Amino acid sequence: MINRRITLIGPEGTNLYIVFQFVLFNVISWFTLYTSIESLEFNLSNLLFRQIIFSTIGIGIFFLTTYISINQVAELSFFFILVSTILLFGLLLTAPIVGVNRWYSLEAIGIPVFLQVSEFSKVFVVAYLARILSGYENRLIGYSLIFLNIILIFLQPDLGTSFLFVSVVFCMLFLTDIKFKQIFLISICLILLFFIFLELDFLGQYQIDRITSFFIGEDFSQQQSRLSISSGGITGTYIQESLDLNVFVPVQSTDFIFSLYAKNFGLVGTVILFLLWFLFIFRVLIIIQQSEIIYEKFLLSGVILMLSIQILINLTTVLGIIPLTGIPFPLLSLGGSSVISTSIFFGLINRAFIENNIVI
Amino acid sequence: MFKFYRVQFLFIIIFLIFSFIFFDIFSLQVTEYSSVEEEIKNQIFQEYYIPAPRGEIYDYKNIKLVKTNIEQYLFINLRKINDENLDLYKQLIKFNFIDLSNEDIEDIFNSKEVLEPIYSLQKIDFSVQKQLLEYDAFEIFEVPMREYLYSNVFSHSIGYVGIPNSEEENEYVNAKGNKLVGKNGLEKFYEDSLAGVPGKVIFKGDQIIEYIDPIPGQDLTVTLNIELQEVVIESLIEGLNLANKNFESESNIERGAVVVLNIDTGAVEAMVSLPDFDPNLFVDGISQFDFTRLDRKQAFNNFAIQGLYPPGSVFKVVAYWLAVSENIFPVELNSKDDSIDCTGNLSFGFDDGSKQVYNDWKLEGHGLVNLRESLKQSCNVYFWDIALKIWREFGNTDGESLLQEYAKDLGFSKLTNVDLPYERVGIVPDRQLFEEWKVARPELVRDEGWLGGDLMNLIIGQGAITTTPLQVANAYRTLIVGQNSSPYLNLNATRIINNNINISNEFSNFLLDDLGSVTNRGGTAYKAFSIIGDEIGDIGGKTGTAQNAGNKNNTSWFVGIDSISKPKYVIATVVDEGGSGSAVAAPISRRVIQFLRGLEPTPVEFGEITE
Repeated sequence: MINRRITLIGPEGTNLYIVFQFVLFNVISWFTLYTSIESLEFNLSNLLFRQIIFSTIGIGIFFLTTYISINQVAELSFFFILVSTILLFGLLLTAPIVGVNRWYSLEAIGIPVFLQVSEFSKVFVVAYLARILSGYENRLIGYSLIFLNIILIFLQPDLGTSFLFVSVVFCMLFLTDIKFKQIFLISICLILLFFIFLELDFLGQYQIDRITSFFIGEDFSQQQSRLSISSGGITGTYIQESLDLNVFVPVQSTDFIFSLYAKNFGLVGTVILFLLWFLFIFRVLIIIQQSEIIYEKFLLSGVILMLSIQILINLTTVLGIIPLTGIPFPLLSLGGSSVISTSIFFGLINRAFIENNIVI
Repeated sequence: MFKFYRVQFLFIIIFLIFSFIFFDIFSLQVTEYSSVEEEIKNQIFQEYYIPAPRGEIYDYKNIKLVKTNIEQYLFINLRKINDENLDLYKQLIKFNFIDLSNEDIEDIFNSKEVLEPIYSLQKIDFSVQKQLLEYDAFEIFEVPMREYLYSNVFSHSIGYVGIPNSEEENEYVNAKGNKLVGKNGLEKFYEDSLAGVPGKVIFKGDQIIEYIDPIPGQDLTVTLNIELQEVVIESLIEGLNLANKNFESESNIERGAVVVLNIDTGAVEAMVSLPDFDPNLFVDGISQFDFTRLDRKQAFNNFAIQGLYPPGSVFKVVAYWLAVSENIFPVELNSKDDSIDCTGNLSFGFDDGSKQVYNDWKLEGHGLVNLRESLKQSCNVYFWDIALKIWREFGNTDGESLLQEYAKDLGFSKLTNVDLPYERVGIVPDRQLFEEWKVARPELVRDEGWLGGDLMNLIIGQGAITTTPLQVANAYRTLIVGQNSSPYLNLNATRIINNNINISNEFSNFLLDDLGSVTNRGGTAYKAFSIIGDEIGDIGGKTGTAQNAGNKNNTSWFVGIDSISKPKYVIATVVDEGGSGSAVAAPISRRVIQFLRGLEPTPVEFGEITE
């Protein structure tokens, strides 16, 4: 299967449904941003132009990823996790940006872009964990590396993303023949670990503030975001402009973009967006069932778990159901690193579709 | 081993959570929809604007002329001040910032704003900053500060900024938030692009809930040249000092202007107006004392575009152009090479039998004078003759404003459309204007209205005509390049073409040659330029001495061309009450031309008194 001839576009090289859906998500994101920015200027300080550039790079990366076979991903996964570990470790040595070590600034080489490494770790960790679970790697080394990655993200500090990683790793473990007793044991350990970190003062004050402010039910941006969603009504303010009431939501174009989307396109838009994602997940589930390669099954499960749990966390944050996390909505939120890591996920799925001879 | 049923199980759970989320969204958008409108409308957030950094200004060699410094500033959140902690905060401020007076502190606490700036933290020790920030009501924000790096050098061209008044707040969207607006010069003309979008601090109650960063303004690169500008200022100051030494004027001679215009492009490479002022005075608000002192000296006027002076003999090029184009030469002459014999006066009669005698400035006469000599020696009789011919041919007909039309084609009495605010246009008088003045300003005109004598005055740049130095420089440029376009100071400005005129290369060349004769042996400006030596043959110009009404000394003019063979710059110099153009304005221009030609500028020395 590795020697399959791959063409860039067309039935043999690319699954039309995946390409269509991928591009559609990107376009929805541009459109949503446009409703808030209302101008497109051709320089990188214009957020819409920035997102379009990232999406374009993302589409390129999507096709590039398609050239790598699932087998090659499996073989390279150890290398990936090493890269991820080194990059995450290197971050701790850089100067903090707005108080956290989360980004590599490319401004020094003249590009006004900040790389968020943990976004790429999402791909690397899933690829490597799938490899461990399919029984190829030394488990001790394997799990330690995964654990190390999560700890490094936690130390940035980035509570939301590390929580996301823990959830995904947990769910992927659950897919093996692991016993419920073991799962229970691991959970207890993790909770203990969390409180130890809390005691050791690893958490920043603002993170504790976020959690406490949530429990006293006062978080301003979440209240505003709920108002914003509500103001969309059934058809959204984009069509019924007369209903447009400006609700101020802080950082709306990144983590809170869904509140902007729901305000503009209403319940109808929400239903469409959800259906698109359901269809996508459903189709991947079918591949997982049909595939005969264990690694592929784990990899694809990991990918859709990563994507759907991200969406879950993002939506529950936007709705104020859980405390602020800072998890973006894949392919909707503004942010280059997120767009590109999601492009890789879509590229992997596209490859799996091809290898299973599903073209549409 | 991979268990597919567990995948199914997980996704059923995920689907259930999704359903719950969807239910929540559904209830928000459908059930609660109607009640939300009211809630949103009742949301009032107080906003406080943080000024955006203004775009910086560079000269054409990319040397920074105006800078925006970003300073950390301590602010106090007045919403958090109550009767209980008021004294504590007052004490804290008094103790830490000893140069704030009690009044200043009272002003801070009496402010109606939500936030109030207290003090720049630039010089405050870090530990003190940290200690202050432990108090809840103190906040730190970055505030931009305008700094004019060359203080007085560009006070009129670049202009200055100040606190916006209500008109300016209406005109410029961001002025109110920036708390600063361009008041004059390029700072005003390019206010829209220089000013950024102010940042916002959003309050809910006494809490700051959001901070939106300001968007900095765009930088501006100007055509000005710092070295040239400095040489021009020195030269003009030397010239003013010299004029004061040589003339007994009632008042101090202290006003003058110089414009250096690039002939090819129309770029203004230097623009000086004296007296000047330090625009930095305006950054923190100018004191009433300083303002009155400078205002009385007319320091805020940019005489280069706002000073209205009769142009005197520098205006003769208009008639020169007219004579060649219309083939109108003094009586009995047929070409520009034929000469009249100037005896120092012109006597002439009109149809009504009246006779008049006009005296040239040179009583003994200029001798044989053709068009070239008339310009070189600034012979009035030759031009009066032309005026008489126009008057006799066209007087009291539609064609009588021939000279005025030529003047207007060169841009006199019209905006040059330079990219600076408050440009003035001046006057080119004609019959129509005099008729209007008879009604509106009868003190300015005789009962008879427009007469031949008025035209004779006009042709030598005297009488009611007024022009700005920039208009004069641009008129000379127009005669050389054949097109009247707007001079500009922004390197990337869009140029406005005011009008095209029909000029042959041949004309430009002999005009330049004739201008060249003015600074050479026998010309009015020879004494002022002789110090240059060998290169003098390649330099040209025209002197002008305009009489003023009353006891005012004459206005001293000189328009210089840096090179006859490769004309690159036209330099217009005017010294208000400076006396003879050849004595004062010419040597000032000479020093500037020395610099432009890469020669060592020698001190300004008093030239010959002519005209």
